[in-house]
Amino acid sequence: MGKRVQHAGILLLAVLLLVGIAAMQQGKKERNRYETSFFDSFDTVTTITGYAKSQEAFEEQTKLLQEKLMHYHQLFDIYHTYDGINNLKSINDNAGKSPIPVDEEIIELLKLGIEMHQKTNGQINIAYGSVLSIWHEYREQGMADPAGAQVPPEELIQEMAAHTDISRLVIDENQATVFLEDGEMSLDVGSIGKGYAVQRITEYAKELGMDHFLISVGGNVSAVGAKADNTPWLVGIENPDLESSEAYIGTVELADQTIVTSGDYQRYYMVDGKRYCHIINPETGMPPEYVPSVSVLTNDSGMADALSTALFNMEVSEGLELAESLPGTEALWVMKDGGIRCSSGFEFHEKE
Amino acid sequence: MKKNDVILIVVLLAAALAVYGFISLFSAKNTKEAQAVVYLDGEVQGSYPLDHDTSVTIQAESGGYNILEIRDGKADITEASCPDKICVNHRPVQNRGESLVCLPNKIVVEIENGGETEIDGSTK
Repeated sequence: MGKRVQHAGILLLAVLLLVGIAAMQQGKKERNRYETSFFDSFDTVTTITGYAKSQEAFEEQTKLLQEKLMHYHQLFDIYHTYDGINNLKSINDNAGKSPIPVDEEIIELLKLGIEMHQKTNGQINIAYGSVLSIWHEYREQGMADPAGAQVPPEELIQEMAAHTDISRLVIDENQATVFLEDGEMSLDVGSIGKGYAVQRITEYAKELGMDHFLISVGGNVSAVGAKADNTPWLVGIENPDLESSEAYIGTVELADQTIVTSGDYQRYYMVDGKRYCHIINPETGMPPEYVPSVSVLTNDSGMADALSTALFNMEVSEGLELAESLPGTEALWVMKDGGIRCSSGFEFHEKE
Repeated sequence: MKKNDVILIVVLLAAALAVYGFISLFSAKNTKEAQAVVYLDGEVQGSYPLDHDTSVTIQAESGGYNILEIRDGKADITEASCPDKICVNHRPVQNRGESLVCLPNKIVVEIENGGETEIDGSTK
């Protein structure tokens, strides 16, 4: 009898062990890591990485983010109009004519643009559309026909630059309308629109209860929480030197923060062997040539987007001063010789 | 308790531990070989191990194409129909998490599995 009890005990122990193993495996699988990418917003690729209980749950959540992002894309589009919404193109089309009613998100975005114009001494100007559209036209032509690529004539740039006065952008918050007083001026939010949208979908993800996600809209990266094991996300900063075999100059750790990079190596065109990038300095009307890339790390992706563009438009010393003056904001420059400069609090793991 | 029972318990414990170790090793660690996975507008179109030199013509839905070459353990887009050629100008990729992107053709080539960099995303 005693023997039987003993054997039963041993059997029970064995069963318990097996159940334990199964339970531990199950516990690990409770949250899996998934990734998705899509191309429908902001003319770039969006990648969302995150932890969810199942593929279906992940897709359901990311689909909502995708739709939200698409909404911002349509609101901030300056090339197309969409049924039933007034977007930036609608505002531009009515420049000098009449104020038009817009979504409050557009007003928020434009207010951020005006705020960043002041904070960056005019290095960000969302009312610079007239000049940017000239460059856009020449760039498109230059890419379609590289042999005939041209830089826009200086007189034309100067002529257009006369219609970029941001104080003539009139926002009526009570009526929720926007009006451009100068009929020749136009808005282009290329320097802040994507970042603003990323910030908003980051907040939306939190509202949806998503807590371990990494969102990248064309390299504009925002972390919703950390990874599932609570270690930070590891984000590589791309090497602007495309000839180099090193893909990244190093990495930063990201948890509930955002990093945005502005550089001259992604979107550009060549004229007589010289590279002309898509970022145009609002003071000179020409692409800046200070550094190949600047990355900004902070808490708000709209700010990060605007600042990375502003710093790209400035001398490094001037930019360092600006970055140091902003709390919770750090910046990193990749110099022309491949060297790296960063603000005092930038925690960066340089590649050996 | 007899000596044999003690041995049985120890054997069971050891076996359980071995099973646990075995499962953990295979579920947690990625022992699969590095491969270049081609995504067409977000959908997996194919995957190619990096240790097999090959050349793949990827047909985009727009009618365009990209030629993906796998050579010496690296994946590279060597030719493409797109106007901007950002994908062609990009350096070859080989480490886990690195990717090649062609926006006009909606093609992403991403390195999955394999070792080295364990980055979760990148800024550019």
